[in-house]
Amino acid sequence: MKLSYLYEIVLFVFLILLQVLLLNRISLFGLATPVLYSFYLLKLPMGRNLFFVILSAFLMGLIIDIFLNTPGMNAAAFTIVAALRKPVMNLFFEKVEYDEFVPGLNTAAGPFVRFTILMVFLHLTLLFFIESFTLFNLMSTLLRIVTSAVITILLIITMDSLMYRRKASEHT
Amino acid sequence: MRNLFNFIIRNSHWLVAILLVAFSFYLVFTHNSYQRSVYLTSANSVTGWFYTASDNVTSFFFLKKSNQQLLERNAALEKELYALRRDAGKHEAADSIQVEAFVADSVDPPQFDFIPAKVVNLSFSGVNNFITLNKGASNGIKPDMGVISQRGVVGVVSNVSPNFSVVIPVINPKFRLSAKLKNSENYGSISWDGKNIRLAQLQELPRHEPFHEGDTVLTSFSRIFPKNLIIGYVSETGVSGDDNFNTFNIHLATDFYTLQDVLVINDLFYDEQKALEENLQK
Repeated sequence: MKLSYLYEIVLFVFLILLQVLLLNRISLFGLATPVLYSFYLLKLPMGRNLFFVILSAFLMGLIIDIFLNTPGMNAAAFTIVAALRKPVMNLFFEKVEYDEFVPGLNTAAGPFVRFTILMVFLHLTLLFFIESFTLFNLMSTLLRIVTSAVITILLIITMDSLMYRRKASEHT
Repeated sequence: MRNLFNFIIRNSHWLVAILLVAFSFYLVFTHNSYQRSVYLTSANSVTGWFYTASDNVTSFFFLKKSNQQLLERNAALEKELYALRRDAGKHEAADSIQVEAFVADSVDPPQFDFIPAKVVNLSFSGVNNFITLNKGASNGIKPDMGVISQRGVVGVVSNVSPNFSVVIPVINPKFRLSAKLKNSENYGSISWDGKNIRLAQLQELPRHEPFHEGDTVLTSFSRIFPKNLIIGYVSETGVSGDDNFNTFNIHLATDFYTLQDVLVINDLFYDEQKALEENLQK
């Protein structure tokens, strides 16, 4: 139980730094930017207190906003995603599973991938539309959402499979 | 009544989420590039520290290119210096008789002072691009100062903390600057459409103005930049919303991908000019 919290804090800090120091400087074809920090929400245990989920997501978004000089944008998008996390999870995972169930490739590969795809698209759609409220045309925003989402999803699945492999080797 | 309370308690996490989202949107909409708080931007000392630490590592990889650019710049300056010296030599010969009594200073007081600074963070993945510099108010940097690189215009300082400052670069939709082609005096306005960080747009240039691909685009009247600084080069004609004006895509002189060192322009006459102009408006 306690170890799981420690693990989450490390993930929280690591993902923020990864996002602001590395990923946000990437702009593939001038369009696609990986937005990997939603990985944090994906890896929280299923039965985690909803206040905790929402507040920590808001905090994470706000910290990233402060780094990126975009007050409110990441925070707004990520808080909405956090609030919708539970209903979305209920779509893909069996309800009977126990509270400490952590979604992942090792626990339920198919549902996890579908869950990731929906969450990432939700997050990026919100984020990019908030970011470009008035300024830019629909097509370029949609293109940015799709390309960024594809890269983000690939990175999340890679990252999860790497973590899974490391854990598996620890057990043996 | 009890049902109502039960309903509220059961769904209170939604209430929290709505409040937090409302607060976030409040931040989005009140966020103004001219009057925002330093604490919620990368100019605060904690984020500044992280960016400096990261830059200490990454700047190492660009040393070679930076050196190359410095050498090129050095060579250009040296050339100019020799040209000026030769020119000055001619004048000396021409009017060797001078009335020294009236000349208070041998050289006019310089109008511009340049503060060198290093880029510690650069964001260009989204539409809200900005640059963080490692110098701030304690080095004499103030909001609204111009920032240039060795190649050309970079942007305008928007926020300053004691040790860091945030710059709004040309590649930010909020950026506006008046500009002209090298061989004329008609001016248009520079803005950025958010699509490509190598290209900005020069708009509202009168249609009768002749131009060629590759023409140099320079700064025009501006309180922030000296005249005739290079902004970029005309690359192609774009779509114009108006028959009387041309719109160009211009290839920016500054390479934002490898930007490392910049100069902040301190216009020593800025306050004087501003006071004079504002006096008139009263």
